[in-house]
Amino acid sequence: MDAKVSVRPGSPDLARLSPREIIARRCAAEVKDGEVVNLGFGIPTLTSNYLPKGMSVIFHAENGCFGFGAKPGTLDADSDITNAGCEPITLLPGACVMPLTTSFGAMRNGFIDITVLGALEVDQEGNLANWAAKRNGHWWPGPGGAMDLCYGVKRVIAALQHIDKAGDSKVKRRSTLPLTGTRCIKVIVTDKAVFDVKPQGGLILREAFPGLGVEDIRAITEAEFEVAPDFGPMKLGLN
Amino acid sequence: MSKVMQLDDAMRRVSRGSRLMIGEFVGAAEPIRCIEWLVEHEVGDLTLIALTPGMTGGFGKGHLYAKGLVKELISSHVATTTESSDAYLADKLMVRQFYPMGTVAEKVRAGAMGLGGVLVPVGIGILDQPGLFPQLTEPKPKITLNGKEYFVEEALRADVALVKGWRADPLGNVEFRYTSAQNQCDIAMAADYAIVEVNEIVPVGTIPPDRVGIPGPFIDAVVQGQTLAEQQDHYRNHWIKLGRLAPVAA
Repeated sequence: MDAKVSVRPGSPDLARLSPREIIARRCAAEVKDGEVVNLGFGIPTLTSNYLPKGMSVIFHAENGCFGFGAKPGTLDADSDITNAGCEPITLLPGACVMPLTTSFGAMRNGFIDITVLGALEVDQEGNLANWAAKRNGHWWPGPGGAMDLCYGVKRVIAALQHIDKAGDSKVKRRSTLPLTGTRCIKVIVTDKAVFDVKPQGGLILREAFPGLGVEDIRAITEAEFEVAPDFGPMKLGLN
Repeated sequence: MSKVMQLDDAMRRVSRGSRLMIGEFVGAAEPIRCIEWLVEHEVGDLTLIALTPGMTGGFGKGHLYAKGLVKELISSHVATTTESSDAYLADKLMVRQFYPMGTVAEKVRAGAMGLGGVLVPVGIGILDQPGLFPQLTEPKPKITLNGKEYFVEEALRADVALVKGWRADPLGNVEFRYTSAQNQCDIAMAADYAIVEVNEIVPVGTIPPDRVGIPGPFIDAVVQGQTLAEQQDHYRNHWIKLGRLAPVAA
């Protein structure tokens, strides 16, 4: 069973996509109109570039803001209008600011609809690991706000490349790194595939990069997975 | 009595070995002049409580780690600055355990509000795994309430709080701009002595009561920091240096 190809393989559109762009484009398809959205740093941030035209969402920043917009021009940047990475942002009409503890209360208590988080590893139980690797015998670098997001956001989307630099699968049977959240992931998006995580654990392969089949994905995936009846090509918003 | 002070007079409260809380979020809304004072006076052996280490690339608190002035960091992260990351990995900066950022913030808030601590469910089953934090001599305390497990997180307090506002009056009332309120009010309340650095010192009555972000009674000293224009340039130039903003055409 091969993923049906909506865009011709080898077409310039598909060939020019970097893994980061593939993941960000596919993550954008997880976001629904009107949702309160928190995007992690790195690939997840790029997701905002690929939301369908006309879609209106409310972006949340951990440091205390709902409703921020694009990065300002250099001369318009304001040192008191920043996101959770201390990057300059803009505040859209309807934006609001709040104390930091309120912002984290919103994260723990289910007021954020969806978050897209980068990951070092994910596993078939829906566990996400993104805050700690061993460096010089120390766990490093720390969770920041990611554990609070994994704990309380309604839909956690894990965004990561399917295999690491050594060619090993980052979609594991069981992650051995310190976790960021346990059984928190709803959807795993890689540059090769999309998996749903069942509520009791276990993966369902829903989509593959156009041209890849189930066996191609099995060959690069450590985790076990079922295949969805409607398995098909990744929604990349190219058309 | 006016709380407005010279930086030197206010910072005299900080000495070698002090336990400090500094307001910031990855370097945003950092009390820059107060931090420069610590660097110039090489006040060492500090325990620093902050949400993050700061902004990378030779900015603000980064200089404290680069000079080896911080003995211990209590935070959610160690690597938002390369200076803190390097010091930690070289065993020159102690981090006994990492807290989720919301947990650090609530520990500080408990200290601010006169509470002994707070019950936090985030990280149960993760941060209590044996061997994760070898420097802890006791397991992280937990409690079960209504069938759910929580960490018992002790309140954090400090000797001195260094916070950053937009403007303040001589009574110590502080006003913030936009996203810079953070948890600065909690930090001011969680220390024995609270110094606020502001862009502008204004007469009493200037700040509308409903715009006061830190009520005056929580503040002990008001010091003049960079003007707002200086602060804007300082951040803009650093953001350009880090590639977060495009350089301005000459």
